[in-house]
Amino acid sequence: MERVVTTRRTEYPVGEGAAGNQARPGFLVPGSAVGDGRYRLLAEFGLDERVDAHLWRAQDNQLRRDVGLTLLVGDPANATAAGAARKMLERTMHAARITHPGTSRVLDVLGPGNGIAPTEGLLGIVVADWSQGTDLVDVIAEHPLPPSTAARLLEPLAAAVELAHHSGMVLGVDHPQRVRVTPDGVLRLSFPGPLPEATLQDDVRGLGAILYLLLTGRWPLRNAPGLPHAPLTPDGQVVPPRALFPYIPYELSSAAVRSLTDDATGGIRTSSGLLRVLERARLNEDATQSISAIPDDTDAEDDDGALWTTKRPHNDRAKRRKLAIGVTALAVATVGVLAWLGMQLISFFGDDSAGAGGPTVVASAPGNAENNPKPPNPGAPIQAAGVQVYNIKGTPDSPRRANRAADGDPKTSWKTDKYQQPFPALKPGVGLMAAFAEPVPFAEVVIDSPSSGTVVEIRTAPSEKPGLDETKVIGRATLQPGQTRLQLDSAEPTQHLLIWITTLGEGNVSEITEIGFLRAQ
Amino acid sequence: MDRTAAVAKDEPAGGATPSLAKASGSMAIATLVSRITGFGWKMVMAWLIGINVATDSFTIANTLPNIIFELLLGGVLASIVVPLLVRSQQDPDGGAEYTSRLLTVGMTGLAVGTVIAVAAAPLFTAIYVDSSTDSANPGLVTAFAYLLLPEILFYGLFALLSAILQAKHVFGPTAWAPVVNNVVILATLVTFWLMPGDISLDPVRMGDPKLLVLGLGTTLGIVVQAVVLLPALRRIGFRFRWTWGIDARLREFGGLALWILGYVAISQIGMVITQRVLTAAAKGGVTIYSNAWLLFQLPYGVIGVSLLTAILPRMSKAAADGDTQRLVDDLSTGSRLSAVMLVPISAVLTITGAALGVALFGAGEAGIEQSQRLGHALAFSAFGLLPYALVMLQLRVFYAMKDARTPTLIMVVMTAVKVPLLYMCGALVDEDQVVIAVLLVNSLTFVVGAVLGQMWLWVRLGNLHSKKVVKVIAVCVLAGAVGAAAAWGLSAVALPTVDSLTTAWVNLLVQGPVACVVAFGVLVALKVPELKPATSRITRLVRRG
Repeated sequence: MERVVTTRRTEYPVGEGAAGNQARPGFLVPGSAVGDGRYRLLAEFGLDERVDAHLWRAQDNQLRRDVGLTLLVGDPANATAAGAARKMLERTMHAARITHPGTSRVLDVLGPGNGIAPTEGLLGIVVADWSQGTDLVDVIAEHPLPPSTAARLLEPLAAAVELAHHSGMVLGVDHPQRVRVTPDGVLRLSFPGPLPEATLQDDVRGLGAILYLLLTGRWPLRNAPGLPHAPLTPDGQVVPPRALFPYIPYELSSAAVRSLTDDATGGIRTSSGLLRVLERARLNEDATQSISAIPDDTDAEDDDGALWTTKRPHNDRAKRRKLAIGVTALAVATVGVLAWLGMQLISFFGDDSAGAGGPTVVASAPGNAENNPKPPNPGAPIQAAGVQVYNIKGTPDSPRRANRAADGDPKTSWKTDKYQQPFPALKPGVGLMAAFAEPVPFAEVVIDSPSSGTVVEIRTAPSEKPGLDETKVIGRATLQPGQTRLQLDSAEPTQHLLIWITTLGEGNVSEITEIGFLRAQ
Repeated sequence: MDRTAAVAKDEPAGGATPSLAKASGSMAIATLVSRITGFGWKMVMAWLIGINVATDSFTIANTLPNIIFELLLGGVLASIVVPLLVRSQQDPDGGAEYTSRLLTVGMTGLAVGTVIAVAAAPLFTAIYVDSSTDSANPGLVTAFAYLLLPEILFYGLFALLSAILQAKHVFGPTAWAPVVNNVVILATLVTFWLMPGDISLDPVRMGDPKLLVLGLGTTLGIVVQAVVLLPALRRIGFRFRWTWGIDARLREFGGLALWILGYVAISQIGMVITQRVLTAAAKGGVTIYSNAWLLFQLPYGVIGVSLLTAILPRMSKAAADGDTQRLVDDLSTGSRLSAVMLVPISAVLTITGAALGVALFGAGEAGIEQSQRLGHALAFSAFGLLPYALVMLQLRVFYAMKDARTPTLIMVVMTAVKVPLLYMCGALVDEDQVVIAVLLVNSLTFVVGAVLGQMWLWVRLGNLHSKKVVKVIAVCVLAGAVGAAAAWGLSAVALPTVDSLTTAWVNLLVQGPVACVVAFGVLVALKVPELKPATSRITRLVRRG
């Protein structure tokens, strides 16, 4: 739209300017390339502040597919940070051997000099398969999940952790933004990359925290800003989920709390322990669901009352397209009608400024033709053959519109220019010259004009373009808004009649809507 | 899309990086100042020169370089060159060669384009001006065009230099440069006013000092806007070297840019017809149109954009994810928030339009009648605010879904509707009032665009919660109507008719707040749930700003 053009100057710099403004390093913005230009960043999905790991969705420019990137930001000159990053990359490489639906496949692990240019400001990149679906944080953003759903979502992730722990490897599931919900409804570790110091116990604690989050919408660990933190009891423990929402089964509630605690007494220390609890919760729910049929996916029904399904039958789309074309055509037709109505309204508004209407004022003949005491009687109206602007100095005023003043249509008009100063500052006057097919004796001229105060003279002229002194005044009047009848001195029949404006109306402009000519009887 | 994404993400990170938050704050101020000064010189121009054939000719000639630049380089620059520039920063030479090459090839191409454009100035006049009815002055348009078309080169230089600076994370100079431009134009206008005499209209003389001052001064503004960036460029250590050839990476792109270019080109068809109808109708029409359009965009620019910056990044993320439901939720929320904020403002503009026009423009040479017409034009088109915002919102959604084709096709339909309606304006309405009808048509076209966009998004995405959106819009229209009626009733009983600057301000200052308070009061009374997030977002903005 025109917007593009008119605001270009201001919009361009600011919009672009904002782009590089956010992240501390400044270079991680959508559209920028990392990994020696191989990956183009699409959207940021989170930040693990503990190791300054930025989680991004990106496109692999070589293989043309989407990947999930864990970007370790830091200064390569900083030996501690570089060492920690190296350790993380090693652990990730080990954990990459695990293949399980609960964790995204690690495609590549890049380090400085090995896929990362030294100037990039990155210590390492973990490249993993991109998992479609939703952020975990978004799933619980509106309300916590029903306990059975929570257990079902978490089970595959817990199973993946269990598989990793069997081989003595840490998976690193202790951050909510690293985990996403896949379209088939399971949690998946989408941004793998265990911290350098993480232990098996941390994985279990992470699972417990995610369970707590799913059940309550709050995060019980200290590492995720942006999520509401779980409330604490006076002695510093997190409040059990059941204390927040009484409908949560005791077993799940206590499992969440017990996996979070550090002490050996009563805590869940292995993933298999937690996995068993989750399985039991699911089985229980499956049993009860056949009795009390409370669908746990009540949010599938949206507020319009229409059922939401992500997969639609294919021909539905063709049907919708037809309907869309129909509605569009209807909208276009409606808009056409509205435009017509609007224009009528505008014309209606405009009418009170245009001159039509108002009383007819009669101006008597000036009577300066000495031997004619009585003006001639008006007879039949006569149509001018042509009307032109008569101008003797400067630019003619709207010459191509002159005929609008004698076209029989009161909606059209001829107007003088708008002058800075009244006549005769720039020119002595301006006029319209009417030409007729044959010499005619005139009795009256009727001028319809909205410009009150305009002074006109009617002059006979010997030719189409005479000098002003060759013309002879036979009528004069100050126009009133509406019609003014100018009675004329009787004179020789003439083929050319000049309507000469000597004084402009209000605002130094005059408009003439219509001129009528009446011949003498 | 990503531009705004970054702006919003700035919020949570604000605490950790105070200096950056401050930088973006000062940039917001720069934008605001440049908008105000930009509108300021347009008003001053109306006061000093009037709303007549001279300002019409200037306005047409002044949009030409913008349009040509946009067609030659604008779309390509934003969609291809800038992303590549950012990527080239990782070249072994830090992008120096790519940047030099970009400047060499880009500026040479633009220089050639500028020379051709200047030579073709009479042709542009013939395209944009319909002189058959004598209310335009094609000679003057061409004269201005000769003086203003060289701006193309400097628009290009400014755009390229700011892209280079932004790739290096330098933002201040590019944000403030347009302000400098506006100041230069203001100074030009004052000089113009102080010079004796009038612009010679018939015949137009190129040597006329007033003409030269206005034309060259305006071009100088753009030159200065580009040149003030040079010191900043030197500070980041950039050294220009002539480098010819086309970077291989440029070939990676293509299709997307073509559709975006098509979008600009088609919207220009609508623009050309608009200008032709306006120039054929009455003197001052083009000036009224351009100023009323600026006023129309103001509420969207201030409220719409700031409301949507929070939603847009989430939306583009959801679109990139293929997460339809979240995308639909955000689109619906965005539409409803826009309705709650913009529909009452439409009502206020409808009722106070005439007063607003006279209050802002009815001084000096502009005259009460023309400025009142400007206000009427605004009043008759104000209903288009929400459709306009919706069209913009939908455009972002399409682009986020990497679909540049559908918006262009929607633009085709909008133009196909617009053109016959524009000619209908010329035929049906009194020529003085044509500009009002043209703006009315403009807004109606956005209605078509909004319906069309909603329908095609529905085809693509399924249920859009349209019923909910329509319900909210209906409630807002009711509230707006009540507000407008209250203000109208008050004016009929207690207020003077708008016939001077004073009465206009009195009307504006009484009717505006009354309509506003009543309209939002009705929304509060009806407990419209969207009101709360909208107001809280605004107050947050105010507190932050």
